Amino acid sequence: MMSSVPGPDKKTKLLVYTIEECPVCGQKTKRAFVVGDYVTKDGGKCAKCSNQTKVSLVYAEGTKASS
Amino acid sequence: MFIPFGSALQVGIDSNSIFLIFWVGFFVVTFFYQARLQSYMALSDISRGLNKLRVMKDKSRKEAIDYLVNVGKAPSDPTQRVDQFLDYVTIMPVDLDPAGLVGKIDHVVTTNNDRVRAEVGALLGQTNAVTVSISENLLEVATSLNVIHKIVRHFYLLGKKTNSYITLLQLQMLMPLIIQEADALLNAVDSFKLGQPIGDGIGPVIVSRYMAGKEKRAVAKDTVMAVTEYKGRKLYVLKADGPMAYVGQPGVAIKKIIEEMGVKPSAIVMIDAALKLEGEKTGEIAEGVGAAIGGIGVEKFQIEEAATKAKVPLYAILVKQSILEAITVMRKEVAEAAEKATQVLNRVIEEKTKEGDEVVVAGVGNSLGVAQ
Repeated sequence: MMSSVPGPDKKTKLLVYTIEECPVCGQKTKRAFVVGDYVTKDGGKCAKCSNQTKVSLVYAEGTKASS
Repeated sequence: MFIPFGSALQVGIDSNSIFLIFWVGFFVVTFFYQARLQSYMALSDISRGLNKLRVMKDKSRKEAIDYLVNVGKAPSDPTQRVDQFLDYVTIMPVDLDPAGLVGKIDHVVTTNNDRVRAEVGALLGQTNAVTVSISENLLEVATSLNVIHKIVRHFYLLGKKTNSYITLLQLQMLMPLIIQEADALLNAVDSFKLGQPIGDGIGPVIVSRYMAGKEKRAVAKDTVMAVTEYKGRKLYVLKADGPMAYVGQPGVAIKKIIEEMGVKPSAIVMIDAALKLEGEKTGEIAEGVGAAIGGIGVEKFQIEEAATKAKVPLYAILVKQSILEAITVMRKEVAEAAEKATQVLNRVIEEKTKEGDEVVVAGVGNSLGVAQ
């Protein structure tokens, strides 16, 4: 489920992303947040070296909301 | 005697005289009724704000009830219990004799926290720790909005009843700030419901990196610790137990590490979110000394006391953000500051301690969505 919440100025919409990081090669993958994601949770396989990734960050980024 | 406008001109009253009468009347009215008129304007402003607060309060209550029913699988309708919960009060101890006051406050607050958890546990049809902690936080948000609404309504009605212009004016001036704070609380509901890390969780995010792959153990209520190494220093890293929405008891934990576990740290480094001033940038990092922890002051007191007794210097690393950013989903600017703050933490450890030393590192904040 893509999570979006209103931003501070109401015109901005915040989209929430999860960053998965490979502890071996450092490759980072950004995907939409899904309920149940948390920092240090096991992620998918690394696209570069196929190792197990871990969620390193969950954050929101602002986009201009279309009225 | 009423003289119609047309007749007035006919009997020799010119338009200048009419304007003069109008202005004299205007000044007489404003001279005698200015305060009354401004009171009406203030009442109307406050009334609009109060309506907004009522809508926010009702929305947060509904969201909490919906969460308890839909996610918490409450076995029966929790509405009545929730309404009782919202009006529950915590009576702070008397401060006429301040000696030992912090211990009394700690006792009252701990009793309240235990009661909240027990009540929420009884309301839910499941024992999942994350769901219970989120329910606790949602009910706390609803309680806060309920209290804000009640206090504003009290002063609004009091000002109206006593026709107190000064009371109303003060409330009118404060309304934008109160609405801003209430809005931040309401926005926090979405992040809590989805279990997303909030801005306040930046401290736990940073220290979780030091705890990865290490054995964790409970060191205080809702607080975990791991022992790790960094450039020859032994680090005792602690944070609230995640991914639950806990803040833990870092004060109790640090006291225990120093006084009961016999650790002799050369430094205590605390990482926390800090409220930025208007004009400061979100994600800015500030360094300092002292206990970096908010709240009612009990934890801060415990940390300062333990550090002072053991003569351990306290260092603080702060990540700046607004109140809205601190209690809603973590912003990109804050998350990206984690890397910089980690470098600062490493530098502080390297500069302030030497190889073979022991260091306590505490990531202070709400651990929602941040495990270890």
